[in-house]
Amino acid sequence: MEEKDKKIFSDKEKITRRDFLGLSAKGAAATMIAGVFAPSVGSMIGLGGVAEAAKKKIKPFTFAVLTDGHLYDIKDHRFDAMFMKAVDMVNKMSPRPDMVIYAGDIGQTGLEAELKKGKQMLDKLKMPYKVIPGEHDWYLDMGKAWRGFFGDENWSINHNGAHVIGMNSIKIDDFWTGPGLTPEERMGRVLELECNSCGPWGVEADGLEWLEKDVKKVSPDTPIIFFSHSPLWDYYPRWNFNTKDAPEIRAILRKFDNVMAVHGHVHQVLFNKIGNISSVGTSSTSWPWPYPAVDLPYPHIRHNRLDPGNFEDGMGAHHLSVADDGSGTMFYDPFEPSSIPDAVKRGVKL
Amino acid sequence: MRKKQFVKVSSAALLLGSLVFLVSGTVQSKEPLDDAADFDRLMEAVAYGDQLWHTGEGGGGKHKELSTNGLGCANCHPDGSATQPESWPKYQTNLGKVGTLREMINWCIQVVQNGTGYALDSKEMIAMEAYATYMNRGTKLNPGLNAQTSPFVISGPGYPTNNEGNR
Repeated sequence: MEEKDKKIFSDKEKITRRDFLGLSAKGAAATMIAGVFAPSVGSMIGLGGVAEAAKKKIKPFTFAVLTDGHLYDIKDHRFDAMFMKAVDMVNKMSPRPDMVIYAGDIGQTGLEAELKKGKQMLDKLKMPYKVIPGEHDWYLDMGKAWRGFFGDENWSINHNGAHVIGMNSIKIDDFWTGPGLTPEERMGRVLELECNSCGPWGVEADGLEWLEKDVKKVSPDTPIIFFSHSPLWDYYPRWNFNTKDAPEIRAILRKFDNVMAVHGHVHQVLFNKIGNISSVGTSSTSWPWPYPAVDLPYPHIRHNRLDPGNFEDGMGAHHLSVADDGSGTMFYDPFEPSSIPDAVKRGVKL
Repeated sequence: MRKKQFVKVSSAALLLGSLVFLVSGTVQSKEPLDDAADFDRLMEAVAYGDQLWHTGEGGGGKHKELSTNGLGCANCHPDGSATQPESWPKYQTNLGKVGTLREMINWCIQVVQNGTGYALDSKEMIAMEAYATYMNRGTKLNPGLNAQTSPFVISGPGYPTNNEGNR
């Protein structure tokens, strides 16, 4: 790296936590809108970006992604079969994925029995897997059972030259203590997508602090793969199709040439790009959500109209392939191929 | 006609006419219109529909009319989205005929949620129809529309809820 490059990277890293935590909502929105249309910081200043990415040694690899099984503690529920079908699909993928990431909502009501059932099925994977929590996994016992099964809610690993991050993005301010809600009542509210007393989610201050430390020594030319349950942008906040501190997360990750953000929660084919961060949504193995009628000001993708009489339509697995130049391609692997438009079947560039 | 007979007939006609006037006057009279009270009655139905719409999410088997597998209407149709009340009646493949929104709601309950369903003129069915229709208020009639997206974006809480329990 040339001396002038080192100086600018150093300057970029001097953005303090206070700087990005201090972003106003208005400022954050402006940042996001500008990011949609403007080139990334790296390419604007002619540093890092493509030239730097070419220097980074990446050994190509593939990860599989599963999410949103919403298992019930009901014997032989049809969601069990669809969860297992996705696991079998991943086990048969060729080339075999190095790892599987589960992007949250294994259970529906947070019962230990639901999470246990999911873990038993995930244990049938022929490769290692990592899990992040969704709100349905969490708000019955505030993550106690989930942590017992799956460990840390925020984690990172280095794989073949890429840095892979998983975060708990579904943390809500306490809305239950004041009204004296029971754990079941708390969970009952959170499991409604339209919950209007739950408030917005995020990784919150401790999550931001963890992320800042985690990536501090990671070089900007390292491909980042970021997994969260909720999208890192304001898609449709009424259904919590957003992460409240996504602007701060994006500010922390802004130094990187390429960030591939994969999220669950939306149960649908979805894409967005803000600056250096591409976000891609995922299909569930339970049910599809409708698309809210939001006019997206950037290229976006959708699955085709689904048949409510076909319980597998719109559901499936995914895999993300990372090339030696650090770029990624996300593939949808649907149970019902007709749900995915041909252009999307060829993969989504990240 | 003799004068005495004429007086008797005229008196009878007058009496009959007065009765008809009184009766018709009673039928035609109305209570003053009270739009606010009528709207409140609608909102009671909407609120009941909202409650039913979200029953089943998480609680399997407690409301067999609605669900026996834990799924509620809101699992797939939050805010009544993608129900498209403006499009019914229409030909619906799953019904195999030109059907109504109420029939489609029952189809979802019985096929997707494994519930027993409701009579189409029941208080419950009307309440769910009221909820779905109210949440899609303002949309233009569009018979036969088949699309995957509801043509509305809700901002704010949608409509006032008391947030007691599971809504």
